[in-house]
Amino acid sequence: MLTFPAGLPGFERATRFVLVEQPEYAPIVSLESVDCQELRFLAVPVGTLDADYSLAVNEEDLQRLGLPMERQPVPGSEVLCLALLSAPRNGPATANLLAPVVVNLKTRVGVQAVRADSRYSHQYLIPGEAAC
Amino acid sequence: MLVIRRRPGETVMIGEDIEIEILDATHSQVKLGIRAPKSVTVLRKEIRLTREQNLAAAHEFSSVELDRLKNALGGTISRL
Repeated sequence: MLTFPAGLPGFERATRFVLVEQPEYAPIVSLESVDCQELRFLAVPVGTLDADYSLAVNEEDLQRLGLPMERQPVPGSEVLCLALLSAPRNGPATANLLAPVVVNLKTRVGVQAVRADSRYSHQYLIPGEAAC
Repeated sequence: MLVIRRRPGETVMIGEDIEIEILDATHSQVKLGIRAPKSVTVLRKEIRLTREQNLAAAHEFSSVELDRLKNALGGTISRL
């Protein structure tokens, strides 16, 4: 079980989630709320969308994660980085690369680390999803 | 976009009820003090964008959409 002390923006009281992996939908995983039964998010590891994704977790979030503040954590070994997926009814699905969910793999504490720069989009269009 | 130059200590008013005061400024960061009624939500832009995306993301995906998405992702480079 993952703990998000501050919840997620818009869902501040959802502090506990379970990560569910269904092999038939890999690499898509789901983050299911323990506190609110109907609440769940679909996500993919950021590396699936951008193999060179560069993290920019701010100091406050690094502190919340219990990670050293002098450097960015290493995805895969220190942290899990997921991009939440949205599927608007009339449009292609997008992933939020502006604010990845970052989880400390050792402590299972997570945060949605919102970037202050504009290097990545909150509505990254998933290649292959664009309508022809 | 309206561009206004202000120095620390100076203030801008937006509408009748919103005031933004420049409290401090360095070459890389500006500290703003914002006075607004409680009915006005003041958020860093990227937090607001994320909040909106999360609300959209919390809606269920149909299995058709899930399959489509899975196929779309299958074409990208996979690396955790």
